[in-house]
Amino acid sequence: MKIRLVLIIILSNVFLSLYPQIVNLKPLSERITGYKLDVRLNPDKKTVTGDMQAFWVNRSADTVPDIRLHLYMNAFRSNRTTMYREMGGSPGNDEKDLGWIEINSFSDKNGADLIPRMQYISPDDGNRDDRTVLRVLLPQPAMPGDTVIINVNFETKLPSRIRRTGYSGDFYFVAQWFPKFGVYEPAGMRYASKGGWNCHQFHATSEFYSNHSVYDVRITLPASHVVGSGGMLISEKADGNMKTVTYRAEDIVDFAWTAWPGYAVFNDKWKNVNITLLMPKDRVKQAGRQLSSVKHALEYLDMNVGPYPWPHLTFVDPPNIGAGAGGMEYTTLFTSSSSYFVPPFFHMPEMVTVHEFGHAYFMGMLASNEFEEPWLDEGVNSYWEEKIMDTYYGNNSGLIDHRFLKFSDVSSARVSYVTSPSRQLVSNNEYSWNYPHGTYGMMSYQKTAIWLHTLEGIIGTETMNNVFREYYRRWAFKHPSGRDFINVVNDVVRKEHGQEFGPDMNWFFDQTLYGTGICDYKVSGIVNSKYSKPEGKTDTADAEVRAWSSTDSLYISKAQLERVGEVKLPVDVLIHFDNGDEVLERWDGKERYKDFEYKGYKQIVWVKIDPEYKIKMDVDYVNNSMTTEPSKAPLHRIANKIMTFTQFFLSIMLL
Amino acid sequence: MKISGSLRSGFMWTLNAKNSILIVWFCIFILVLVFVFPLRRSLTTAFGASMITGKLADGINIEAFTDLGPAFKSIMSFFTAGLMFTFLAGFLLNSFLTAGLFGNVRKDSVKCSSSEFFGMCAGNFGAFLLISLLITLIIGIAFLFIIVVPAAIVSLSETVSDKSQFVTMVIAGSVFLLLLPVMLLVADYSRAFKAANEDASAFSAIGKGFSFAFSNFRESYMMMLLLILAQVILGVIVMLLLPGWRPVTGGGVFLLLIVSQLLFILRLFLKTWRYASVTSMMNEIEAGNTRTIDKMEL
Repeated sequence: MKIRLVLIIILSNVFLSLYPQIVNLKPLSERITGYKLDVRLNPDKKTVTGDMQAFWVNRSADTVPDIRLHLYMNAFRSNRTTMYREMGGSPGNDEKDLGWIEINSFSDKNGADLIPRMQYISPDDGNRDDRTVLRVLLPQPAMPGDTVIINVNFETKLPSRIRRTGYSGDFYFVAQWFPKFGVYEPAGMRYASKGGWNCHQFHATSEFYSNHSVYDVRITLPASHVVGSGGMLISEKADGNMKTVTYRAEDIVDFAWTAWPGYAVFNDKWKNVNITLLMPKDRVKQAGRQLSSVKHALEYLDMNVGPYPWPHLTFVDPPNIGAGAGGMEYTTLFTSSSSYFVPPFFHMPEMVTVHEFGHAYFMGMLASNEFEEPWLDEGVNSYWEEKIMDTYYGNNSGLIDHRFLKFSDVSSARVSYVTSPSRQLVSNNEYSWNYPHGTYGMMSYQKTAIWLHTLEGIIGTETMNNVFREYYRRWAFKHPSGRDFINVVNDVVRKEHGQEFGPDMNWFFDQTLYGTGICDYKVSGIVNSKYSKPEGKTDTADAEVRAWSSTDSLYISKAQLERVGEVKLPVDVLIHFDNGDEVLERWDGKERYKDFEYKGYKQIVWVKIDPEYKIKMDVDYVNNSMTTEPSKAPLHRIANKIMTFTQFFLSIMLL
Repeated sequence: MKISGSLRSGFMWTLNAKNSILIVWFCIFILVLVFVFPLRRSLTTAFGASMITGKLADGINIEAFTDLGPAFKSIMSFFTAGLMFTFLAGFLLNSFLTAGLFGNVRKDSVKCSSSEFFGMCAGNFGAFLLISLLITLIIGIAFLFIIVVPAAIVSLSETVSDKSQFVTMVIAGSVFLLLLPVMLLVADYSRAFKAANEDASAFSAIGKGFSFAFSNFRESYMMMLLLILAQVILGVIVMLLLPGWRPVTGGGVFLLLIVSQLLFILRLFLKTWRYASVTSMMNEIEAGNTRTIDKMEL
């Protein structure tokens, strides 16, 4: 076994030496896969054709008989593909509408033709019309340490209706466009009990899972087109009406690029990171907003999670004709979304930019399996997006900051979760395409973010930041699973809080990530009753009580609490008395009901469960508090304003 | 001369019609109260003794409302249904009351009692309702063709840039806003004519409305722009004052109610000034026409 390991390391290093460092000083990842692509964009046929040389290193101890490749573009081949069956609709009837990828030649390093050994498979649903996964039986099985090299000539037709990828007029966003290795998972990696390829089909609601790779990409295209990609520009050579650009990208999980003559290019810098923004020329007024938001995200994640390791970053604000490409991430390239005029109080473009950039961390560096655990990238990333937005754009105004209406980003996520009628339909731990009744977005984005905020409320912000710093330290440029994340939480919480929350935090994840229950705590009553004087034959021996009972102002006050939901979380309870005293109680939240009782010369005026609103999972904040002196003034004010504005509305609308 | 004279006499006639304006305010107040009072009760019941209302101290808090769950959905459905009902009832009521206002601001020193006012309202209600319906329909069709259709075309186009879309919408909106005073002039002249000529039918009044609007277009349009400007200034004041005013005590809320109702009465005054000025302008046009005919006869 040791010999094998040594062999693997030697062979890997030999192979890696073929790919010298250009972008970073040293490799950031294992680089199990790598790609050299030399392609040409045909603007008339809307195709990208060319050659690819790629390698996969068998770092496992298994003998692997085959390789598996994603051919994502085949999802646009017909309305019978898995993506369109799940999504409904059709890519279109015309040839120009369709997207596909054809393999013209496929050989190994010895030149052996592998086309007869190719087979389209559908590991997820058995759909024979879906050609998004290709299995190739190797002439000789790959032994531990072997490097499988393939040479492929392919033609990719881009679809006209952009869904992340495609073209519109002379706008191109070219993603999921080349044959791409799946991830070989040996036994013990993530949830694998035995070695095998993890290579899922292209689904309507799933994203991707890949090894960190090195990309050397040459693209020949019309000289008029401005190009952006996730790589670093190495060279650009013009040849008549055409030009050839060469890019190098290291340790990223996907390579995408865009080309359009209408782009304006903006450059900026944050520390050592060169930032490039491509956006339509008529949106130049939005450039400042976009660039400052990405720098906020860089700063915040660098400070609280870990460093952004690449010296370059490109992001694209696609034109309206390419809006379908907006809001997607390819690690060092991502797409945002805005328009010619967005009111300054509305922070949606900034939010999209912060979110998509955040994916450079959550699935870019921490390369989880988006097919199988979408919460681990989308949910975790949404959590950080909300923290960044509310930090830089106002605690109550991260999303909307108008003097008439303020709305924080975290509130937006919570409202989405709280108001969803399907919030208890399934657990948060499903394969992305298994979320029923359209719950994928709410469950994987919002619910996850909300229980992460809740976790932060329980363990504290600094501990939460340390959880992510440790998660980054252990798992950056690897493939963490949800279980790995939970282990990090357990270790950090145990280290910082001892046994305060029990031996581990599994009780939390069992209820939130793996459970379907809701959290709802309620103040059901406030009782202030006068202590009655002992009458009749009583054995009361409490002298103090006898002394109190001689007055009329002794009260027994009770705060009556209920756990309405299934989820049991520890909560703070703040009780305020009429003499100004306040008591902060801690309730473990396990019982169905709980009374806090006090004897003394004071009455309870109000009770608040979770007074600082830390438990974002609580689906009803209205019943979290109760007062004996309710203030109706805010509601009356709102009603008055509704009346006035209705009067003005009628007066304006009616002649 | 015509503009300032019409505005001046219109203003004086409006002052004389202050009792009628207060009657209009009271009727609209009662109508809206029928909608808002149950809404207020629903809100106070839904929030109960919760202290979440403290979050509303800084304005509308979406989270506080959505946390009401099913109660929020009930309140929203009541709100939308109530608003629609109020609008429809308001349309009828406005046609009714406007007939009284136009009758009241027809000439100098018409001080009418409430029974006289309601008599004028009832006398011309049908014709005013028809005029309002037709002019509203014309405005709706204009909105459809000037704003909705261009917006749909540019948003569906693959070749129109963001900026072009924005500019198209700004131009469309501007054209519509420039057209709006014309439609208001037609509506006001029609109603002023009908108020002055009880025997005229609604359709002939609309015909006269178009005739008056275009026979003296420049003065009429400029006067209407000035009157609209006065209403816009009031609108800006209202938007600056009311949304940001967030009293937290019962006394403060009552003061807000008083101030907002005074502003609404001012709004009614300005609207009545519009009616009166257009009526005055119509009188001048008619007088001019009469003088011309007299001269021709001489």
